[in-house]
Amino acid sequence: MSIKVNIRKCYHEAGSSKKSGAKKAFMLNVSFEMENELIVLFGPSGSGKTTLFKCISGITEPDDGNITVDSKVYYDKKIKTNLPIQKRNLGYVFQSSTLFPHMDVRKNIECGLKNWNKESREKRLMEMLSLLHIEELEKRHPSQLSGGQKQRVALARALAPEPELLLLDEPFSALDKEIKTELIEKIKNLQHELKIPLLFITHNLEEVFMLADRVLVLHGGKVQQFGTLDEIFYHPKNLHVAKLIGLSNLFDDARVVGHDEISRSTILMSGDMKIRVPSLKLNPGDMVSWGVHPENITFLPPGHEDQDKNIYMAHVVSIINKGPKKKITVNLARHHKTLTAEVPAQFVDSLKLNAGDSCLVKLEISKIVTF
Amino acid sequence: MTPMLDQIWFPISITFRIAAISSFLVLCSGVFLAYIFARRDFRGKELAELLITLPLILPPTVIGYFLVILLGKNGFIGQLIYSITGTGIMFTWQAGVIAAYTVSLPLMVRTAQAAIEAVDKELEYAAYILGKSEIETAFLITLPLAKRGILAGLVLSFARAVGEFGATLMLSGNIPGKTNTMSISIYSAFQAGNNELANVLVLVLTLMSLISIALTGKIASRGKSKV
Repeated sequence: MSIKVNIRKCYHEAGSSKKSGAKKAFMLNVSFEMENELIVLFGPSGSGKTTLFKCISGITEPDDGNITVDSKVYYDKKIKTNLPIQKRNLGYVFQSSTLFPHMDVRKNIECGLKNWNKESREKRLMEMLSLLHIEELEKRHPSQLSGGQKQRVALARALAPEPELLLLDEPFSALDKEIKTELIEKIKNLQHELKIPLLFITHNLEEVFMLADRVLVLHGGKVQQFGTLDEIFYHPKNLHVAKLIGLSNLFDDARVVGHDEISRSTILMSGDMKIRVPSLKLNPGDMVSWGVHPENITFLPPGHEDQDKNIYMAHVVSIINKGPKKKITVNLARHHKTLTAEVPAQFVDSLKLNAGDSCLVKLEISKIVTF
Repeated sequence: MTPMLDQIWFPISITFRIAAISSFLVLCSGVFLAYIFARRDFRGKELAELLITLPLILPPTVIGYFLVILLGKNGFIGQLIYSITGTGIMFTWQAGVIAAYTVSLPLMVRTAQAAIEAVDKELEYAAYILGKSEIETAFLITLPLAKRGILAGLVLSFARAVGEFGATLMLSGNIPGKTNTMSISIYSAFQAGNNELANVLVLVLTLMSLISIALTGKIASRGKSKV
């Protein structure tokens, strides 16, 4: 199974017509290919994730491009093909529950099985009920279901007609964390079991980590980066991606000053702060942005600053309790930079760190992100 | 002077016959129009909506006048009917159906359209994705979910058809035993000083109106408690 998407879709300002050549309000321009895998579409709201789904499912017609699933052409501007929604064999779970409120769970699931004979329809229904552990809900109406149960039924309904592609648009965003985690594990297992290509929309970083084989990062209607979790997390291609993956310590004022062959690192000057980062193929003088994830800042007992090892003097500005972790904001006094770190709570306690204290922070060279 | 049973019974039966047939036609065409207005965009949609709503605010005599122009011997539709049936439609109870239909259609279209527009479009998309055609989806999802609005529209249309006076009088006249509906009979009984007959018919119409209001109220409240 392979899916190729390459589409453009323009939305104009409300009240302006296409003919008048009005300013484009939003332009979706996306191109990617996928196999039998789970791809997370990750981006802020308004980045075009749902619009992309609407184009793939046929709810919205793109302006240009093509969409093929295996050898089946869903859409192709060139040969003027736009397969009706009903003929595209895909499953779609919406963000809000779209269970038909006047039908019970059984009828909802059977909706997509109209061309099946009675026997196989019954068998498929039972399979779906047991696959999602909702056997006891068969006779209930959607108003008698909890949010998590509703989305389980929605998944069963989407999977029942054996779709060749599954689209999930933030299906769990309104659920409690516990149920969400449970369902996300379920999705991950289902994808492995059923071996169907699955696209999952989210703007929640946690869900990206839990789910993704690969991540497609969308921003402003464009693909910013398409890669594995590791690639996205440690090699963000640009500022948009870096911000989206929660890289809160970002600096764009660095310049390459040299390379250190022995430690295989590149030396940057970020303002008046010397910092070593994993080796870059850049020439001295080139500008570069760098950042470090809050988890990758470590604290050392007071001592001497050693810029060659990325160890700096710092003052603790604030410590915020975040359950098992603490968020510490520090000032690198000599370099006019502020960093936020996330450190296990017991570690902070053992160091007896308090707001106003001096300390040393270390930025692990291998964990520094540049782009 | 006691009113003869027939004097009471005929207006009631002709009124119900007219109102029932008109309401049936209003239900079929009104729901169709409401669906089209709610779910489709086409050129001239606003004009069409305006024309259908117009009878709601036009004085009934003006509606009657327009219908006479259309359906009379020299009217476009009147000529057509004459050429097919060899007889005119004016001053028949069928003309009364047309009058009742015209004035009550907007009530159905307005109420049903609002109800259909309130159905979440994502539910329809979900049905399309499951392979249901637009017509299947309309009958399986959209209309059942807009049921309350459609029922309310039906009750309102029926009540309006029962009470119709001005346009009916101009179109089907006041022929005793042929086209004298309740409203018209009340008027002529009152004119003739036959208060007993007027009283009975007024009582029937008042009761009917009360029932309609109670019915629409019930439909609305049942909907609320369901959600």
